Amino acid sequence: MPFKRFDQARPFVTLGVAVAAWAILPGALKSFTRATFFELTAPISIVASHVGDLQEYWALRLHSKHELIRAGTELARLNASYQVAVQQTNELRAEIDRLESLLRLPSFTQYRYEHARVARRDFSGWWQRIVIRKGRNYGIPLGAPVIFSGGVVGRVTEVHAATSVVELISSPNVRLAGVVEGDVLGRPISFQGGVNPTFAPPTGIVEFVPLDVIASPTSTKRLVTSGLGGVFPPGLTLGTITVARIASDGLFKTGEVKLDERLGSLTEVTVLVPLATE
Amino acid sequence: MATNDVNLADRSGNLVESYKGYDPRIILFYFLIFALLLTLAIGLGYQQLSKTNEYAVAEKRQNQRRILVPGPRGYIYDREGRLLVGNRARFSVRLLLDEIRPEILREFRLIRNNYRAVNDKDIPTSREIWRIARVSVVQRYLDEVNRILLRQEKVNSGELDRHFNRELLLPFTLIDDLEPTEYARLLERLPVNSPASVYTFSTRYYPYGSAAAHTLGYVGTTDDVTIEDFPGDELRTFKMKGTMGRDGIEKQYDAVLQGEAGGMIFRVDPSGNRINPPIQQVFPRQGSNVTLSLDIDLQLAAEQALTYTEMAGAAVALEVATGEVLVLVSKPDYDLSQFAPRLSHAAAADMTERGAWMNRATQGTYLPGSSFKILTTLAGFRSGILTPESRAVCNGVYVLGRATFDCHDRHAHGDIGLETAIERSCNVFFYEYGREIGVDAIASEARRFHLDRPTGIDLPNETHAMVIPDPAWKRRERPDDGPWSGGNTLHLAIGQGYLTVTPLQMAAFTASVARGEVWTQPTLLHQPGRPAQRTEPIGLTPAQREALLNGMERVTGPHGTARILQSGLRGLPPLTGLRIAAKTGTAQKYSPKGMINFAWLIAFAPVENPQIAIAVAIEGDVPGEETGGGLYASPVVHAILKTWLEKRKGSPARITTG
Repeated sequence: MPFKRFDQARPFVTLGVAVAAWAILPGALKSFTRATFFELTAPISIVASHVGDLQEYWALRLHSKHELIRAGTELARLNASYQVAVQQTNELRAEIDRLESLLRLPSFTQYRYEHARVARRDFSGWWQRIVIRKGRNYGIPLGAPVIFSGGVVGRVTEVHAATSVVELISSPNVRLAGVVEGDVLGRPISFQGGVNPTFAPPTGIVEFVPLDVIASPTSTKRLVTSGLGGVFPPGLTLGTITVARIASDGLFKTGEVKLDERLGSLTEVTVLVPLATE
Repeated sequence: MATNDVNLADRSGNLVESYKGYDPRIILFYFLIFALLLTLAIGLGYQQLSKTNEYAVAEKRQNQRRILVPGPRGYIYDREGRLLVGNRARFSVRLLLDEIRPEILREFRLIRNNYRAVNDKDIPTSREIWRIARVSVVQRYLDEVNRILLRQEKVNSGELDRHFNRELLLPFTLIDDLEPTEYARLLERLPVNSPASVYTFSTRYYPYGSAAAHTLGYVGTTDDVTIEDFPGDELRTFKMKGTMGRDGIEKQYDAVLQGEAGGMIFRVDPSGNRINPPIQQVFPRQGSNVTLSLDIDLQLAAEQALTYTEMAGAAVALEVATGEVLVLVSKPDYDLSQFAPRLSHAAAADMTERGAWMNRATQGTYLPGSSFKILTTLAGFRSGILTPESRAVCNGVYVLGRATFDCHDRHAHGDIGLETAIERSCNVFFYEYGREIGVDAIASEARRFHLDRPTGIDLPNETHAMVIPDPAWKRRERPDDGPWSGGNTLHLAIGQGYLTVTPLQMAAFTASVARGEVWTQPTLLHQPGRPAQRTEPIGLTPAQREALLNGMERVTGPHGTARILQSGLRGLPPLTGLRIAAKTGTAQKYSPKGMINFAWLIAFAPVENPQIAIAVAIEGDVPGEETGGGLYASPVVHAILKTWLEKRKGSPARITTG
């Protein structure tokens, strides 16, 4: 009879022993185990991502030639407009360089652009992050800003051998200094990711908004990076302030920011690698 | 017995025991158990029913903490709605001490083990190691902030100890004067879940710097933060520092400006660490705003002109009809922004050395000099001794017994009438009539104009030290100086001797004379459409009033003592189209350094419809130097009237705040 009772309890005892063993393991070993686990599973994400790419490729192969020709034409138009935009950007950049040299202003931090494919997206109530297919192998540093065509994506929070984890700006763990576009005084505003339920459009919150900033769902204000924090260059889109109400202290307003919904379906991002750190 | 043992042995093998039969001995145990259960039930009932509240309160005390947050203060505006005092956010980086306790514990063990490892004989006490560990951990966080901000700040260990022991739930301030760029850097570079984070707090903001410093006053910090209709009085309460008016309007209307405190009640763990979110929370509310009667354009004009003299002094301007204070200047003054968030020792010492703390408009008592001759004239009219036609011969000196009393610089004015005597401020004329009028009539008239008491303006600490002397006062206050003499009366008649008044009193007196009444209550609160004050009429005949006003207007004429107001001298443009009634005064006072002059000018305008009354007093700073009212005080009055005139004509004044 006693043997039978022990047999029944064996799974619990095993679990208890495992938990106890994990609890008494040194911290370094635990960290190593976690990192190893991530590195071991990383190829799965990468392979899955490549398979996804392949699947997309074959899906595209199924399109008719007409569709492909039409898409090619649209793409050519888009490319043409981008080329014009690039040319204008280059002219503006040259003008900025000229003015900076005239005024002897220091240049902003220079970055190297590292484009990366998104391997995995965790866009849920628990996590707001993506895994990209570049890591230490491409010199991605910890804390580097990540952007896409719609503005800021987030910051690199973990760097692994061939992958990196990017915490999205919709995550409450990301905070940065923004500024309302067009604010000549350049007053910094605290932006932080909000609590975003699964499948809900991504939002953030702003604090320390100057009292003269008026925003409502019908009259939104664009929030861009301030460049004062030293991490993100200035002028990158964060989102639009849709609500700004006076805070309890009467000194500032607090508000809500609507973020780009494409954050939940990103496929390509760009990591800004500060050249100074390299 | 053996049988029983066997039975027991048999029964012990069975899993279920059963009793057959009835054992009377067990009844005793039934009673015993019942009694014990009853005792427990009664005890439980007593504890649960009778002492419920007591335990509930004790439980709350043990596991709940209350935090009170002061509400922001209200704003102060001038009469045209321009912000004089507001609130500005200051950014600070603070550390939540209750979140770093585990780290401190680890640090404590590390330090202790290190001491033990080296077998140090001078190992500190456990209490000292705790202190070292606390400072070490907090400094580590401060170093991280220093690294981001490129600063070299150090932790104040004494302050940290005090904070740790008394205000554990409140964040400890690491740096409290962050620039916007620094705050932005910390926002991005400090981890979101770090115990160190950026906070904001309200501090007073003065858009006009030192303007009206003495009137506006300043605030100091206080721990006396109270909240109404918020539960938890019995709980251990932590209070964020609030502000309290310490001087000026900030003190006078502290109850109005003071915001309503907010509060939070948190549950805490056995170590006293906060568990979010709060159980109960009430947001703080901003205090009410106050609109002052000051006109900042006039105030700045007066301050610039007074600063230009490089002497101490005061200037007051009142709206004649209502008594609302348009200007209230005292120099030297101080920069109000130095008080936010707190005044440094060096700044306080500098202010003390310069004598900047004193509001000379309401606390400075001065001999009024010849500006008092207006009151002597009124007393003469009312006593019937002086008439508009009265005349006297001035030979430059007046002889009374064996004493001689000089006219101004012993200048002989010759045979002059009342108007000329006022115009040229002839002492001999007023000696002669003053002696006839007598001390009692002059002192009585001064009291009728409330010159013997504080005005009751809505500012704290107005002086009570003004003196309207008479024989009884001298017997009481100056017994060593002998009885009241004829010379004392002569001095009183020209505003010298024991007489002292404040600039504010003289401004109120001037406004009263302008209105033809005996009293003007000055006030600093602006009330649109405030009705004109109505007090006892002075009781002059039209001829008497005309003579008085003529004399005062001639003071600003080509031969008057304040002629620079209208003559275009000294680069001051004439105030075209404005009729000004004025009276200068130059009083002498013996100081340890020598004889000091006080320059006075009282004025009102326009003569035909008085709207603004002004009094300016300037302290001479060089013994023996001629600091005449006409020369030194006139530019200040000119600046006020020029600005007032420009605004009245619709041309906005252009004043720089410097």
